[in-house]
Amino acid sequence: MTRVFTLKIDGQEVSGREDETILDVARDHHIPIPTLCHLEGLSDIGACRLCLVEVSGIPKLLPACTTHISEGMDVTTNSERLQKHRRTIVQLLFSEGNHVCSVCVVNGHCELQNSAVRLGVNHISLPYLNPKRTVDASHERYGFDFNRCILCTRCVRVCGEIEGAHTWDVMGRGIESCVITDLRQPWGTSESCTSCGKCVEVCPTGALFEKGNAVGEMTKRNAFLVTLARMREEDK
Amino acid sequence: MYGLLDKITRGIATLEDLALLEDLCETVKATSLCGLGQGAPNPVQSTLRYFRDEYLAHIVDKTCPAGVCKIQQGVAL
Repeated sequence: MTRVFTLKIDGQEVSGREDETILDVARDHHIPIPTLCHLEGLSDIGACRLCLVEVSGIPKLLPACTTHISEGMDVTTNSERLQKHRRTIVQLLFSEGNHVCSVCVVNGHCELQNSAVRLGVNHISLPYLNPKRTVDASHERYGFDFNRCILCTRCVRVCGEIEGAHTWDVMGRGIESCVITDLRQPWGTSESCTSCGKCVEVCPTGALFEKGNAVGEMTKRNAFLVTLARMREEDK
Repeated sequence: MYGLLDKITRGIATLEDLALLEDLCETVKATSLCGLGQGAPNPVQSTLRYFRDEYLAHIVDKTCPAGVCKIQQGVAL
């Protein structure tokens, strides 16, 4: 039997099942917490650090997406300190890649762009790194523009967990980390890829895109994921 | 952070760079997933706490009190 815990989020009394995370409970009660790497239906890894929240009694900030709730927790999701950290994190993401919204296929529908707007990031105070990055357009239907990648690894997770192909993976460390297909070969030559396109739909930015779209023309449709994940859960 | 420190040692940093460095230290320390990230800003933060005057000497007076840094005189940003 699953227990039900009651806790406080931003002063509001809420309750949730013991297997739920702070983020689940907050979303159930319409308390917004910004996220980038989280996607309903995929496992959570706590990588983007945008969902960090304060829990009273714990000096460190905890990622809401991977922290399970406990009885009597007192969570703050929106303090000035958290907002400041979130703004810096978004700025770091922008300065680390080559995110040029004006020429991006998802301009206007981009989760990174939306997070920046919501957090009030209107300029980047950090020096741009301008790394040399490449575009892989070898796949017949899709393209991968590494310049726009924020390494949320949603593509890696959806490919492994939902499609079961595990074509995508992460390679390298630190600033040299990148996502690769198969054994770092051009996507078009990958033998494990089923061309299902799930990775393209879950990508929060324009890093993975469908060919044939011009600037701002692409929208991501990832609602299928929730249905798929739920159906599989019921099958078990 | 390394880039900012490098700018300071070359005598071409501004006070804004110092503020940015402090902000970055705080964010990296508070939000890192692993212990390496949580500990990485420590040396910078402790030198900022105890030797702030030396940082300021590099930025404002463009001099290195310890005589370690090679400060290029008259370099424009």
